[in-house]
Amino acid sequence: MTYQNFLAPMAFALSLTVAGAASTQTLTMGVRGGPESIDPHFSALGPHAEAAKHIFDTLVWSGIDLQIEPGLATSWKPVDEDTWEFKLREGVKFHDGSDFNAEDVKFSIERIPVVTGPTTTAIYVRRVASVDIIDPHTIHIHTDGQAATLPNDFIRLFIVSSEAAADFSTLETASAGFNSGAAAIGTGPYKYVSWEPKGDLVLERFDGYWRGMGDWEKVIRKEIPNDSSRLAALKAGQVDVINYVSSVDYLALAKDTNIDSVKGDSVYIMNLQLDQRENTPLVRALDGSDLDENPFRDLRVRQAIDHAIDRETMVDIVLEGLGKPANQMMPPGFFGSSEKIPMPEYSPAKSKKLLADAGYSEGFEVDLYCTGDRLPGDAAICQGLGQMLTQVGIRTNVNAISKTVYFPAQARLDYSMFMNGWGTLTGEASYTLGGLAHSNNPEVKLGAYNRIEYENSDVDRLLQTGARMMDATARRATYEEAMEKVMEDKAYISIVQLQTVWGAKAGMLQFTPRFDEDTLAFFMKSAP
Amino acid sequence: MSDERTPLNRFWAEFRENKIGLVALVVVVVTILLALFASIISPQDPYDLAKLSLMDSRRPPGFVGSGGYTHLLGTDPQGRDLLSAIFYGLRISIQIGLAAGLVSLTIGTALGITAAYVGGRIEALIMRLIDLQLSFPAILLALVIVALLGQGKVQLISALVAAQYAYFARTAYGAAKAERGKDYIEAALATPLSGRLVVMRHLLPNCMPPLIVVATVQIANSISLEATLSFLGLGLPVTEPSLGMLIANGFPYMMSGRYWISVYPGISLIILIVAINVVGDQVRDQFNPRLRK
Amino acid sequence: MLGFIIQRFMQAVLVMAVMSVIVFCGVYAIGNPIDIVIPPEATQEIRMEAIRRLGLDRPLYEQYFIFISNLLHGDLGRSFVYNLPVLELIGGRLPATLELVLISVISATVLGVSLGIYAGYRPNSWLAKTIMAVSVLGFSVPSFWVGLILILVFAVNFGWLPAGGRGETVKILGVAWSFPTINGLSHIALPAINLALFKLALMIRLARAGTREIMLTDTIKFARAVGLSEGTILRRHLLKLISIPIITVFGLELGSTLAFAVVTETIFSWPGVGKLIIDSIGVLDRPVMVAYLILVAFLFVTINFVIDLVFALIDPRVRHGVVA
Repeated sequence: MTYQNFLAPMAFALSLTVAGAASTQTLTMGVRGGPESIDPHFSALGPHAEAAKHIFDTLVWSGIDLQIEPGLATSWKPVDEDTWEFKLREGVKFHDGSDFNAEDVKFSIERIPVVTGPTTTAIYVRRVASVDIIDPHTIHIHTDGQAATLPNDFIRLFIVSSEAAADFSTLETASAGFNSGAAAIGTGPYKYVSWEPKGDLVLERFDGYWRGMGDWEKVIRKEIPNDSSRLAALKAGQVDVINYVSSVDYLALAKDTNIDSVKGDSVYIMNLQLDQRENTPLVRALDGSDLDENPFRDLRVRQAIDHAIDRETMVDIVLEGLGKPANQMMPPGFFGSSEKIPMPEYSPAKSKKLLADAGYSEGFEVDLYCTGDRLPGDAAICQGLGQMLTQVGIRTNVNAISKTVYFPAQARLDYSMFMNGWGTLTGEASYTLGGLAHSNNPEVKLGAYNRIEYENSDVDRLLQTGARMMDATARRATYEEAMEKVMEDKAYISIVQLQTVWGAKAGMLQFTPRFDEDTLAFFMKSAP
Repeated sequence: MSDERTPLNRFWAEFRENKIGLVALVVVVVTILLALFASIISPQDPYDLAKLSLMDSRRPPGFVGSGGYTHLLGTDPQGRDLLSAIFYGLRISIQIGLAAGLVSLTIGTALGITAAYVGGRIEALIMRLIDLQLSFPAILLALVIVALLGQGKVQLISALVAAQYAYFARTAYGAAKAERGKDYIEAALATPLSGRLVVMRHLLPNCMPPLIVVATVQIANSISLEATLSFLGLGLPVTEPSLGMLIANGFPYMMSGRYWISVYPGISLIILIVAINVVGDQVRDQFNPRLRK
Repeated sequence: MLGFIIQRFMQAVLVMAVMSVIVFCGVYAIGNPIDIVIPPEATQEIRMEAIRRLGLDRPLYEQYFIFISNLLHGDLGRSFVYNLPVLELIGGRLPATLELVLISVISATVLGVSLGIYAGYRPNSWLAKTIMAVSVLGFSVPSFWVGLILILVFAVNFGWLPAGGRGETVKILGVAWSFPTINGLSHIALPAINLALFKLALMIRLARAGTREIMLTDTIKFARAVGLSEGTILRRHLLKLISIPIITVFGLELGSTLAFAVVTETIFSWPGVGKLIIDSIGVLDRPVMVAYLILVAFLFVTINFVIDLVFALIDPRVRHGVVA
């Protein structure tokens, strides 16, 4: 036959082999943290949810910049004051071939409070009073009162199969049922093969995934918590991609031609928090005696602290360039971030003057607490802070401790000055401001994370009205105003926005970094 | 001809003949002096946050910093002069090693000698518990105690003592038991001297040699154990770094070529521990009667 | 002899009981376990529910009795963090630790005793002096530092051996072991070296000290006077005399190595029990901590008991009740 007749089939065969070659590849990932169970409802921790996203889908999807997109639900709207209607995607199959429908959503929502572990996922369905199935692809969710941001809560609502998980939905049976694979049937891009706690999670491609076929036939997620070991594994070729390359190694990695590094902005911002109570435990005069009153209640002292922080140096030196100065508690461009807030000025001279004006020309002493093992650079930033504050006269004792000790102590209000990272994972301000800036009021379920007894009645009013506004534009303006007021008060001082780095074998992958730092195999494509 | 020198002089003369042991002893003494006078000889006080500058952080050896002096061994991520940090770190390591060693020595010896002296069921009970304690790995015990009690010098020393007193108890018991049966103790007990005086003045001094040997080993062990705990994140708090903490802090920088932050403290630690062990070896060899031909 | 065995057995049981009380009280009574387990933002209802569910609202002695009765039925409780039975968690990871520890200990002993005997036999040769110098280093250098240097040099720099993790496994008797495969061995190499170093140094020093002492004894002098060859002396007398302290230390150090595996497993990401306990301590997962400590205590008591039995068989004085 002529070569033209020959060419077409050859090209076709070639394309098949190329595509075939790509789709029989295995992706081996080295991740810093893994799941605590294959049951997606067991834990609300980031690494757990990240792993679950490989096997299961969420009702609402959180996009790369954390703005919500359709997931297993294609659209949603409020039908009355306390009811939301969700339309579900049609034609979605579970790994065992069964169809996804409203039964599965209702089952998943009702299952959560029963099976959730210590880090409870019940927070994602806390506003849900009941679920009604209207038809196989429509459900009504009745909430306790107005819940303007219900769809945002559902970015972590994982849907499991009501048939497969039916026998495995009590506390005793859940983990075992999912870990063995019997109940681990999801609609996600990969099927569950095996998992060892703190070990390897092995997955294989689900060809019927509703977003399409992923590039990898097999995915292995290896848990390697130690930063240096993880990087060593990448350099030694044992894994193809790693997450959380530390700032320590980032610069050197840029010169390594065998490794690609991908940098992205993180949603996490480090905030310094200053206790506003009348009596605060860990502040004293330089000679050790008690002070008459809590210096942090004086706006001038708080402004002095703000001016003492050299954000540029924090980013350039302490984080070795892996970060951005921050002036508010959410990244720019988020729903509720205000462009009107200025970047605070670094001026030790102004600090000293403000302190003197407030009556603290001699300075005072404070114990600063922060986590040392939660976010990259947290201990280093803390120590940097200690230096900067000491140099304007506020003698600081830095305590960078384990998060397992820090968070309970912070919740008990043991600390006077403390710093930790906060990530606005829902992409909008009510999560951040509602949790941190509103006064602590369990009746309206706001201020649960406000550990400094900060109270500004204007801010409270703005946040409560904002939660009820169903008009997005008006709500956005309200939240922006609230954010401006909060940052002016300087009880919360935002320092830096973190950046996250992934490392991969040179030329192997292409992907866009996510704000929530999730490392998802399906969205990592084989580089052409 | 009778040897007119005192036992101490004899001991010292023998010790001097072994060159390596002598060098090690000199190293130990020098290190202790460095640690004692750390505040005087260090160009910088590494624990004073007001004197540090982030602009000096992670600089290689030989860099002239913002303080105007040369950083002979470079700086750490907080801008601390590594040479000063090592001196202060040595001080902490030695403090902890000595404290843990001395407290263990006291407690262990008291227990062991009591068991040997009193005898009977109390002896059996104490020694059985000591045996159990001995076989329980020190590091596990230390880990759990620190995890439960939290971080801090006192907690750390308690953990180290709990892990080590059994060695002293065991040794003291063995030595005391051997001495107890000897004639001169029986003779002393026959006199109106109180039992306690007999123990203090006769039994105890003769148990000292093996105890000194164990002490040197245990002090070295304490120092090493503290470093390991710091590395695992369970040691002392961050702002007064011991050598272990310096090594642990510096290790992430090894992969990016900034070796000095971890290597120099590491070398100092090793020199200290090796020197103590060599001295201990020498002392043990000299005290061992079975090695005398 | 039977009386001796029974006596030792009763003592072992008593010791286990005491240990279990100490461990349980120590781990559960200090601090408030619930603080670590539930998130600080949990409501009061969630908190009370969690306390009730975990049984933490009962008095301490009741918790202890429940614990012991479960223990005797083989149930060591459930991990707070993973909600899996602790026995399953530990059991799943035990083979990894066992193979690492056994390979390290056996190679360290064989190599260490040989080198040590040589060093004690010819103490003034340069080889002996080198061996002793190296042994002091192995004894003194903290094992975490050695581990990290090993990774840097062999894995990252030369790329000869993997930087961490466990290799391919093969199922023998229903359990996954990695030493039968070449890939598995390459993964075991560095951690085993790291773990063995301390033990090696110890064995060298012990063997050397023992050899030096024994070579000076009358037994050896007589053997030489009678005309036995050096080789025979070494084989027939030295090895036998040296084996008693070596065996004792071997048994005790087996446990100590198991403990030090904690550090090695952390550095090399070796999926063993040691890494599990470090992580559990870090998050104060108390059921796992308690179960691990009790298992370790059980192991030690058993080893001690076995050693006592072995000595009873070897040492006629013990057999005939001369020494209690």
